[in-house]
Parts: sequence; structure tokens; C-alpha cells
Amino acid sequence: MNVFDLLMLGFSEALTPTNLGFCLLGALLGTLIGVLPGIGPTATIAVLLPITFFLPPLAGIIMLAGIYYGAQYGGSTTAVLVNLPGEASAVVTTLDGYQMAQQGRAGAALAVAALGSFFAGTVATFAIAIAGPMLSRFALSFGPAEYVSLMVFGLLAATILASGPVLKAIGMILIGLLLGMVGTDAETGSERLTMGALELFDGIDFIVIAIGVFGFAEIITNLERSGSEGVKLAPLTRLWPTRDDFRRSWKAVLRGTGVGTFLGLLPGGGATLASFSAYSLEKKVSKTPRAFGTGVVEGVAAPEAANNAAAQSSFIPLLTLGIPSNNMMAMMLSAFMIHGITPGPTVLTTQPEIFWGLVASMWIGNALLVVINLPMIGLWVKLLTVPYRLLYPAILLFCCIGVYSMNNRIFDVMLAAGFGLLGYAFRKAKCEPGPLLLGFVLGPLLEANLRRTLLIEQGDPAIFVERPISLVMLLATVVLLALMILPSFRKTREEAFQEEES
Amino acid sequence: MTMKTVALAATILAAATGAAHAEWPTDRPIEMIVAFAPGGGTDIMLRTLAPFLEEELDTQFPVLNRPGASGEITYTALSQARPDGYTVSSLNTPGFLTMRIDRKLRFDPTEICPIARIVEDPGTFVVQAGSEFQSLADVVAYAKENPGAVSVATTGRGTDEHLAMIQLEQAAGVKLTAVPFAGANEAKTALLGGHVTMIGLNAGEYSTADHDAFRALAQFSEERSLLLPDLPTAGEQGFDVIMSSERGLAARCDVPEEIRAQLAAAVDTALASPEFQERARQQALPLAFKSGADWQADMPSRLERYTEIFKLIDAGQ
Repeated sequence: MNVFDLLMLGFSEALTPTNLGFCLLGALLGTLIGVLPGIGPTATIAVLLPITFFLPPLAGIIMLAGIYYGAQYGGSTTAVLVNLPGEASAVVTTLDGYQMAQQGRAGAALAVAALGSFFAGTVATFAIAIAGPMLSRFALSFGPAEYVSLMVFGLLAATILASGPVLKAIGMILIGLLLGMVGTDAETGSERLTMGALELFDGIDFIVIAIGVFGFAEIITNLERSGSEGVKLAPLTRLWPTRDDFRRSWKAVLRGTGVGTFLGLLPGGGATLASFSAYSLEKKVSKTPRAFGTGVVEGVAAPEAANNAAAQSSFIPLLTLGIPSNNMMAMMLSAFMIHGITPGPTVLTTQPEIFWGLVASMWIGNALLVVINLPMIGLWVKLLTVPYRLLYPAILLFCCIGVYSMNNRIFDVMLAAGFGLLGYAFRKAKCEPGPLLLGFVLGPLLEANLRRTLLIEQGDPAIFVERPISLVMLLATVVLLALMILPSFRKTREEAFQEEES
Repeated sequence: MTMKTVALAATILAAATGAAHAEWPTDRPIEMIVAFAPGGGTDIMLRTLAPFLEEELDTQFPVLNRPGASGEITYTALSQARPDGYTVSSLNTPGFLTMRIDRKLRFDPTEICPIARIVEDPGTFVVQAGSEFQSLADVVAYAKENPGAVSVATTGRGTDEHLAMIQLEQAAGVKLTAVPFAGANEAKTALLGGHVTMIGLNAGEYSTADHDAFRALAQFSEERSLLLPDLPTAGEQGFDVIMSSERGLAARCDVPEEIRAQLAAAVDTALASPEFQERARQQALPLAFKSGADWQADMPSRLERYTEIFKLIDAGQ
């Protein structure tokens, strides 16, 4: 079958009433949590993950993916209208978006954001459709040795791309690796760090950690703020951008799409990094860099296109190699695993309807999101007036049900609560939990593949430099390490993240 | 605890005691604990069976998954349940037998009695379709010349595939290398990429796999499975390797004998129904009913055999 036939197969899967319904549901939920500041897609997906258990595999995955890219649309609404980023990836959108709204051009900003996102989403969807099968053929040549080198590279890259000091990021990865050790050793059968608890024999469940450090910890953090902050809404006016807006933004959208698609592929990359990088790039190529921050349309178009492109292209390494590049993709990985599907090259050949159905649903979802977001914008804005004290008990309840229903045991709920406190402590210490989650997911894979390599080679480590793909990865790792130590690079990185936080 | 909760607890307790005196099995639902996650072979088997048992016994069989520790969590829960016949669980060998060999268990395996075996799913060794190996003898001949060079993907220590590999090593006097993978899917990918020589799959898994890409060399049952009537057994090829996943139902041994017999009869009737057999065929379940007593009679000699194999594993480390 050629790509066209496969895409048709994908559309026929994605357009079944069930899958279309879950795509719409995901897009709606994504917009909802994108609009509401304080509930992110990571926490939402962590909560919903156990529920997808009871859905057909494709429907569940379509819904979760919809939440992720839907949140990119919803996040911009709040950023433009209230100067609050609904999502971390919409932080830079506030800079020019809110200024535009102050000048009475909120409608234009929102329309540019939505249309730019739609364009970027379309391009990234096609990127997945084209790159997926190509990469997956290549992926079969990925043996245990290649995976080891790839994961060493991925873990290091994650520390560079995480915000905050490198040392903290490395610390979080190490904690993640340690947590990943818990359980029974596959080769010798001995218990590791289980403290004799039967419930820990198979290790800690991903969902327990995810709901703890993202779900519970986020709720605790939000409860610190008083729930009755007045929300100042910018007036919403004419929705359609001017001809001048279009003329100025299309190039920015193109560049943002390019940056986003590329950064989404990298380990540790994702929507937040992409939107920020696209904004910096726009500022660099602009003839009037000083105008940024005063309400220029490019400052909205580029990051919004970039975050959506990255949200989608980060599916590529997951779907072809089975390697999650960021914590969102780690969630998606476990969504696949719940249904006994190991993402990777075999899925493309044995279950093409899963891969192509997902790809097609992404495009459909993006189209739905434009409709959901533009005409219905007034509705979403009203949601901002719902006080948090009414929201959080419901979220808390869903978290607990979700964790309990995985293995039907209360032990997991208590464990998640413990991780909630830990996650809160991390937030207080300004340690980002993303690298922890990545270390937790990649650590056991790294260990298992390292041992497999050495078993197959009967103890000879030379294979890591004999196999070309592995050698390239290792060289890239060395270069990355050298860059990290180089003072000039460190300075740029720190500046970059300071700008993002401001 | 407030007065209200005390009162509530008392009511529940009274209701529970009352229930114990009522007539089995229609008084309340019979909880069926499954030791593996939803969607796995054991789960599918019991979820397919449950509606037939419900019809047969005129009661309800809610399925509750308590996965973990290769079944120990479920067996522990079963051994703590009341012996009133309202709790049954899945039972899987070799796991149920091997777990007692190298670790201290939190339940007493002699307190758990099989009700009936439902499925016998033999192990197979599978190579790439284009592999030069046509039979076990080919693999053995190659391994004799290159000790350790034949790598076999397993799903961990002491699993079916691992135990089958050790038996083959012993029967043929060769040295193979076990490489643990996280599951059958990962192992299949590694085989497709040519990173391992051979993988262990259950007959059920192999029968639904892509036969243009994979080819089985032997099955490890005493007689050829219904699923793979054309694949010779290891015994036919001259190697003494017996390894099957057997899956069935169990209850506590102190559940009254007549209740256990009634359950076993219901399973037997369900398995004989053409409708159930059709569903089992769709899901590649190799049905092989065996009464609880017969299955239990098999166990001591199997256990002895596995204990010997584990000694070999430990000696090899």
C-alpha cells in the first residue's frame, strides 16, 4: 500500500462515529484545560490515562492526543485575553498577544493564533505521515546497542533543554533513574528497592508517579493562591485579521512551523521550548526587533504555530522508535502499553490502522479546533470565572479513581499521594519534574538494552563504536557534553530560559 | 470512627454473615480475580468464559484484575478470601509452581486448589522466516560449533521461554544465551531486526503473528496443539522439551468439595458449548479442559522438574 492508500485507511478509521466522537471530546477537553490556567495537559492526561483502559485502543489514544494539541489552542485564548498563559507553551504569546488585545485587536490575535496553529498542525501531520514509515524502516536496524546510545543522548539532551539549572535537571533525572530501578530484576529475579512490599514487585506504576508529581502537586500549588483573583478581560472585537496582519504573519507562521516541527523531534523538546525558540527567531530576523512586546502580530503567529507543530511532531520518535521525547510522550507511551501495543516499527506493519488512524485524527482534530476556538470563544472565556475551589475536588476525585482502578488497590493511591507531596517539594525547590519522569521511563529501557547488548555480544562492549548509528549517537553525546561545559553556551542557555520565565 | 460508621460496619458485617448461610451460588455474585492486566491472554480467556458460567450457574461473575508479582498478589488475595465459594481466581502454570522455588511467598500454595484447566498454550521457538535454521537440530548443530552465539529472546528469568531454553540446552548439550525482553512485542521487533537468533512465543501468540515474517521450529507440548497441527513437537524432533502455559480457575482448598465440583462441571459444560468454542477460536485460545483433580495430580512432578531447571539457572550464574 502506498502513502495515499494508508492515509485513506487512516481517515476511514478516524471518521468512524466512535473515533470522531473521542477526537472531538479530546479537542474540547484540551481547549477547556488550555483555557483554565493551573490545569495542564500533562496532569489531565495523567488523570485520564487509566480511564482509556475501558476504551478501544485507538479511541483512547486519539482522545489523549487531542487533549495535548487542543491545549495548545486553548492556552493562547487566555494568554491573549487575560495575560495569563493557560499553558506553559503559551507564555510567550502573552508578550504580544495581550498587547494586541489592549489595542483592541484581540480578535485578530486569536484568529492569527488559531489559523497559524491549524496550518502548523497540517504541516506537522504530513511530516508524521511521510517521516513515520521512512523512519520505521530505519528503526528495525535499531538493535539494543543503538538504543543504549540513543538513550544516553536523550537523557543528556533532556537536561539541556529543561528549564532551570543543569545541575537540578541532572539531579531530577537521577531520582527518576532510581525510581525506575524499583522492582524485580528481569535477569536474576532478585528484588530491588522493594522494601519487601509485594505491591512493588513489578516496580512503581508510571501513572502513580505522573498523577502524584503532576496532578496532586499541581492542585496543592494552585491552592496556595487564593481562588478569587479578579480576572480582567480584554474586550473582544472584530475577529477577522486585516490584510496587513495576514501579509505580516504568513512568513512568521512558516518559520514557526519549521522550528516547531524540528524541535518536537528532539529528545526533551516539545511545545514549550518550540514556542519560545520561534519567538526568539522571529525577533532575530525582524527588521524592527524593538517593536516586539508592543503587540506585533508576528510575535503571536510564530510561537503559536511552533507550539502546535512541536506538539504533533514529537509523536514521530514515539511512533517509530517507541522512544518518548518528553513527559507528554511518556504519557502517550503508557497509553499504548495499557492496550498491549508497544509503539515501534512493528505497529506500523501489523496494526497500520492505529498509526494512520491517529495521524488522520490529528488533522481532523486540528480542523475541529479552529471551529471550537474561533466562533465559540465567548463561551471559553466565561469559564475563566469558575472559581478553583469548585474545580479541584472534582480533579482530586478523578485522580484517585484513576490510580485505584489500575490495579484495584489502595496502596497505589497512597503511593501517589506520597509522590504528590514530593512533587510539591520539587516545585518549592524549583526543580522541574519533567526530567524525573523521563529518567523514570528511559532508565529501565537503558538498563535493559545495555544488558541485552552485553549478553548478545557475550560481554564485549566494542559493538557500541562498531555500529555506525550507535557511534554517531555517542559522538553527538560527547559534543553535547562539551557544549554544556563550555562557558559561552551555558550563558546563552541561561539567558534563554530567563527570558522565557519573565 | 464515628457512631455512624460503627453502625454501618455492623450492618455490613451482619449482612455478610447472613450471606454465608444462604444458598450457593445464587446468593451474591462470585468474584473472579484475574492475576494479569486486562487484555492479556488470561484476562481474555476468563472474560470470554464468564458469561457462559453465569448462564450455567444462574449467578454473576464480575471480573476483577489484580495484576502484579506474576500472580502472587492475586493468589494472596484468594488465600485471604472467605472459603465460601464466592471468590475464585485465575491459576497459571508454570508461574504458580515456579514462584515458590526462589522466593518466600506471602501465601501458602498448598491452600490453593485448581478447579479446572481451561487452556493449554504450548511454547514455540520462532526464527525469521528467511532463517537458515529449519529445525531444532539445525540450531543445535550451529550452537555446538559456536557456544553462546545463539541468542534466545525471553520475557525474563524463569518464564516459559527461559525454562524451555534451559531444557533444550540440557537435552542437546549446548550453550545458548538468554536475552530478557519486556514482552512478546519487543522480542518480535528484535527478531525482525536480526538482533537475536530466536524468540520464544506461545502457540496462541505465534498463530496470530505474521507468518511471512516469522517461522516456528518446534512446539513444546506432548501432543501437537489444536492451533498448530502442522508444527512438529520437540519430542518428535528428538529433544525432551516440555513447556506449556496452562491457564485455569482455582479456589481455596477448604471451599466445600460439592461447590468446587459444581464450578468444575459448569466450566466443563461451557467449554463443550459450540458457541464458546467459536469465540475461543476467534481469540486463538487453545482449549484443553482438564479437571482440577487431574491437573493437581500433574503438579508435583512438574514442580520437581522446574526445581531442577532452576538449579541449573543458578549454577549458570
